[in-house]
Amino acid sequence: MIYFDNAATTKYKPEEVYKAFEYYVREVGVSPGRGSYQLGIEASRMLYKTRKKIANYFGMDNANVLFTKNSTEAINLFFEGYLKQNDHVIITCYEHNSVLRPLHKLHEEGRITYSVITREDLNLSPDEIVKKYAKGNTKLFCTTLASNLTGRIVYSKDLLKHMKDKGITTFVDSSQGAGKIKISITSDSIDYLSFTGHKDLMALPGVGGLCCKNKPDWKPLIQGGTGILGDSYINPDVFPEGYEAGTLNMPAIWSLNSAIGYCIDNFTVIQDKEHALMRYLLSELEKLSNVIIYDKNFERVSTVGINVAGVQSSEVVKVLDKNGVCSRGGIHCAILAHEALGTVETGVVRFSLNYLNSMEEIDTLINVLNDCR
Amino acid sequence: MHIVFYSTSDVFEAEEKIKEAGIECKIVPTPVTDKAYCGVCIQINEYDVTKVLNGMEFQIVD
Repeated sequence: MIYFDNAATTKYKPEEVYKAFEYYVREVGVSPGRGSYQLGIEASRMLYKTRKKIANYFGMDNANVLFTKNSTEAINLFFEGYLKQNDHVIITCYEHNSVLRPLHKLHEEGRITYSVITREDLNLSPDEIVKKYAKGNTKLFCTTLASNLTGRIVYSKDLLKHMKDKGITTFVDSSQGAGKIKISITSDSIDYLSFTGHKDLMALPGVGGLCCKNKPDWKPLIQGGTGILGDSYINPDVFPEGYEAGTLNMPAIWSLNSAIGYCIDNFTVIQDKEHALMRYLLSELEKLSNVIIYDKNFERVSTVGINVAGVQSSEVVKVLDKNGVCSRGGIHCAILAHEALGTVETGVVRFSLNYLNSMEEIDTLINVLNDCR
Repeated sequence: MHIVFYSTSDVFEAEEKIKEAGIECKIVPTPVTDKAYCGVCIQINEYDVTKVLNGMEFQIVD
């Protein structure tokens, strides 16, 4: 089986990640912030260590990291808490539905408005983009690190800085590319950043979170047990516990601790291998006259979106699956990007690689695509 | 004496800072009935940790 769906979930994890998960469930196995016995204390210490590691990884000078079950929940937590009546939000046309849908829901409820920077306008200078899209009531600018559809790196330090200079709060969805592109919340003008463990960071599914430059003072998304101030009828106004009601997925969190360590230690090796694989894949795809490549000439992570001329993406995926290749067709929870590319009707076939893939696997893929006529 | 915090996360941040300053400490159940603080705290000998924990929110309980 050839796995080219790493943008959805990295199927194969570093051995250290499996071992960290196993260590937690076998040797610790209790929840942090609940018991004041030694094992519970150790669980809490491991939780703090992971917060710190994530904060360091994303270039924070504090440990203001909230854990959620994934990036989607972190984004919902942020939007629901941070945005107020009549706020305006700017997003890019490459945002995942995890950004679009919560914003659109707030829009439908008459609470906010939002504008989408078009694909063409992303070619404008940061100054021109700010002038064109920012309004007097613009509160927030949201950008994905990379497109989950085409792999294009959308993240722009310059644009973030221009937004900040205009007094606009900045948010980065790092779900795609967090383990592959070095970013710094402190240096890159970022106020909030969401992450998820199971994609490029290569941890187990079930953990994500929100990094906050400053401690938030808005309402939490959910109410429930926080392990502290149990006599209060609502969540305590305490960071971070007041935002993390319910039992945290500590086995996944501890696996993320290990996974980030692996990403740091092997950053260059992973990057070099993935760049080489993508160069080879793109060069081979270009040789196929029946293949359309989207966002071909942009800096990218190890993801590419294509179509085979005259064939629905779902049909291509079906043929690939019969030949043992896992890829993804359809809309990829990125309707805005499909609208921008004009691929809503056909969908797109996405191949997302990681460093564990090989040139031989790419050869197999190319041979199958060559027969898709 | 005991150093108590509202946030459990702060307890471990403080532990890290105190140990980095070369001071021995231990995490123990919070020995007070005041429900304002989280369930664990730092037990420490009579050191002035005010400078070490600068910027953090905490209380000293004898």
